[in-house]
Amino acid sequence: MKETRLTARKGKWLALLVVTLLAAGLLSPWASSHPDGLERVAEDYGFLNQAESVHELAPMPDYEVAGIPWTALRVGLAGIIGAIVMLAVLWAVMRVITGRRRGRDDGTDHGRGTGASSESAQ
Amino acid sequence: MHIPDGFLDAKTWITTSVIGAAAVAYSLQKTKLAVDSKQVPKVALIGSFIFAAQMLNFPIAGATSGHFLGGTLASILFGPWIGSIVMTAVLIIQAFVFQDGGITVLGANILCTAFIGSFTGYGIYKAGMKLLTGRGRSVITFAAAWFSIVAASAGVALLLAWSGTFEPGTALKAMVGWHMLIGLGEGLITTLVAGYLIERNIPLAKEVTLP
Repeated sequence: MKETRLTARKGKWLALLVVTLLAAGLLSPWASSHPDGLERVAEDYGFLNQAESVHELAPMPDYEVAGIPWTALRVGLAGIIGAIVMLAVLWAVMRVITGRRRGRDDGTDHGRGTGASSESAQ
Repeated sequence: MHIPDGFLDAKTWITTSVIGAAAVAYSLQKTKLAVDSKQVPKVALIGSFIFAAQMLNFPIAGATSGHFLGGTLASILFGPWIGSIVMTAVLIIQAFVFQDGGITVLGANILCTAFIGSFTGYGIYKAGMKLLTGRGRSVITFAAAWFSIVAASAGVALLLAWSGTFEPGTALKAMVGWHMLIGLGEGLITTLVAGYLIERNIPLAKEVTLP
C-alpha cells in the first residue's frame, strides 16, 4: 500500500486557490525587483545585453497590464489574469488527455492515480 | 527570469528545441496513462499556484533575488510526467503571454526547468522516502526541492557554456552558487505546500470493515 496520498479535503484545495489568487493579485506587486540568479550572472559576466526578444506580441510583457496608471494594479491584474489563464489552459489540456483515454478503455476501471496522488474512495 | 532569446547560440537552441519537443511529446503520452480524470482540477490548480508563486521574487544576498520554480512540488504531488507537463504549460504561458523566457530557447527552458527540475526532485524524494521508510518527509522534501534548483541551474550553466558565453567551470560556479541560496526558498515553499496537501494513507474505518 502507498504510504501517502493527496488530501481529499475540498477545503484545503479551496484554500490553495485563495492563496494563489492572493499571491498573484496582491503580493506580486511587492516582489523583489532585484535581478534574479540568471540575470545577476548575466550582468556580472557581461552578457545581459545579449538578451533580445523575437516575440513582441506578448499581451502583458513583464507581467504588467498596459494603460493602467497604478503599478500595483498593473502587476496585480496581470497576475490574476495569468493565474486564471493557467488554470483554464491546464484544465483544458488535462481534460482532453483524460477524455481520450476514457474513450479508449470505456467501461473498464479508470485506474487510480500514481505517486502520492491516489485518492481515497469516498 | 528564464533564459531570454539571444543567450544561446543557434546550434544550442536548435538542439534543445528538438530534444525539448521530443521530451514533451513523450511526457504527454506518459501523462495520458498516469492522470485520473478526478485529478484534473487539482493538477490545474497546482499549475496556477506555481505560476503565481513564480511571480514572487524574494531577496537574497547582494542585491539579487530568486523565485520559486515548482517542478519538485508538482512531481511529488502527481508524479514526474504530469509534473513536467504542468511546468511546460507554465513556461509556455510565461513566454507567449508575459514575454518571460524566450521563444527560441523555450526548449532549453523546458529541458532545464520542467524536466531536470521535476525528475531530479522526484528522484531524490522517492529515494529518500524509501531509504528512511517514510520518516522525515519534510526534510526529504526540502532536500529534493533544493537539489532540483541546483540541478536545473547547472543545466542552464552548461547550455550557456556550450553556446560559448563563458567557460563551463565559471558558468557552473556562478549559476550554482546563486541557486544554492535560491534553492532554500524553493525548499521552504515546497515543504510547506506538499506538507499541507499530502497526508498519511490511513485506510478509512469503513474500508477496513468491508469484506
